[in-house]
Amino acid sequence: MAQAVEQLTAVTFDDLLRVANPFAGEGCGFDLRESRFISSAALVQLAAASYGLAAQGSLPMIQVEHPNVRSYLVRSGFVGAVAEAATFDPPFDDSVLHQFDHLHGSNPLLLEVTKIDSGASLPPLLDRIVSLLRTKLQYRKPDAYDMATVISEVAQNTFDHNTKTCGFLALQTYKPKKGRRFVEIGIADFGAGLRATLQRNPSAASRMRVDLDAIGIATQLGVSQHQDATRGTGLHHLLRIASCHGGSVHIRSGTGKIAYRGDRGHRYRFTVPMMPGVQVVISVPTRTG
Amino acid sequence: MEKRFPLATHGKTLWTRDTARRIREQLEEVLAAAAPGDTIVVDMKGIDAFDFSFANEFFGKALLALPRHYPQRFLVVQGLSAYTRENIVHALESLGLAMIERKGRALSLLGKVHPADVATFDTIASKRVPVTAASLAEALAVGITAVNERLTKLTNLGLVRRRSGASAAGREQYEYSILA
Repeated sequence: MAQAVEQLTAVTFDDLLRVANPFAGEGCGFDLRESRFISSAALVQLAAASYGLAAQGSLPMIQVEHPNVRSYLVRSGFVGAVAEAATFDPPFDDSVLHQFDHLHGSNPLLLEVTKIDSGASLPPLLDRIVSLLRTKLQYRKPDAYDMATVISEVAQNTFDHNTKTCGFLALQTYKPKKGRRFVEIGIADFGAGLRATLQRNPSAASRMRVDLDAIGIATQLGVSQHQDATRGTGLHHLLRIASCHGGSVHIRSGTGKIAYRGDRGHRYRFTVPMMPGVQVVISVPTRTG
Repeated sequence: MEKRFPLATHGKTLWTRDTARRIREQLEEVLAAAAPGDTIVVDMKGIDAFDFSFANEFFGKALLALPRHYPQRFLVVQGLSAYTRENIVHALESLGLAMIERKGRALSLLGKVHPADVATFDTIASKRVPVTAASLAEALAVGITAVNERLTKLTNLGLVRRRSGASAAGREQYEYSILA
């Protein structure tokens, strides 16, 4: 079982898998008993990981004890989102699951863990995100539309390039002790992953040896699994817009992860424990109108 | 003849490739029914935003189909806000495409276009009658070969219409025009 980390974020999620990776046959579950904090982006990764394991035939067990974390898992919609794909230890009482159906007031969780499985459900969800950014963070329209655009480009990939899988999305604001408040957008799926997807395109396939190569190639303009001149621009525009907003983007797929620091124009490559699918975290300083 | 294709009937925000595919099919029906020389105006008035998947599937595919399947028809966009114009430019540039924008009575090119092609387009647009390559070469002060290359490129992108005409001496020559 993947062992606990105290602060579970999109970064420390890899530490969790490094100790014991269920996708490498090292147990089937996630030990979060020591966790005191879980970020929304880590939650969508955990949701995708749970569905990924369930798809492989083993329903994972998520152990979580701290009352604040348990409350957050319910409030964030995570428990409901993974109801079909994971079990909890100790289990959640059904009666508490419906106590937090709506996200009110100044709650920093902007959008609960939301399943994405079709193109039809996406436009109203994106309009809702624009509305949330406008009303809760007083975003100017162009900034809110920019955020909806990057979410749309990544979210469409979760079902465009995969069959019989789905993706997850969540948004939350954070205010670090030092630095500006930022919005963290987590999008994760458990599909084929970038390397397997791009292998379908012979011109891209010849340039990839490992998952890290695939991530780099996927962000290049015009590279896609499709032989279609109008494809392969989504991740390019994601990085461009995030950079314009001074944000950063982490793209993780298989055993590779690249962190793009748009505010500094840097990128950092990491080899990480194997996990199926693609996981993207976008962190952008908030822009109020 | 000119036909308006208002996008705002589909909502203020246009998200996803799936959405674009449905609307593009309607646009292609209009293009198929149009005659050579006709202009289809995509009216963006009332549109607040669209994503790049929408732009690629709707504008990108329609523009790629234009010279091949609907030759001699013009596809023009109008009613862009500052925000939607910026995004359509990014979308077209990333696809290596260009299209005509109409603002009031003025026509201009959006997207990936070389300044020399813009100058050629602007010169044709400023004339009220079809022009020949020779008269364009003179107006632009460049060689006939260079002008012919530019005209071929603009024609292949569906930005300029080419028709056979006759010179004063009765020789066959091509004439170039923009919109009716």
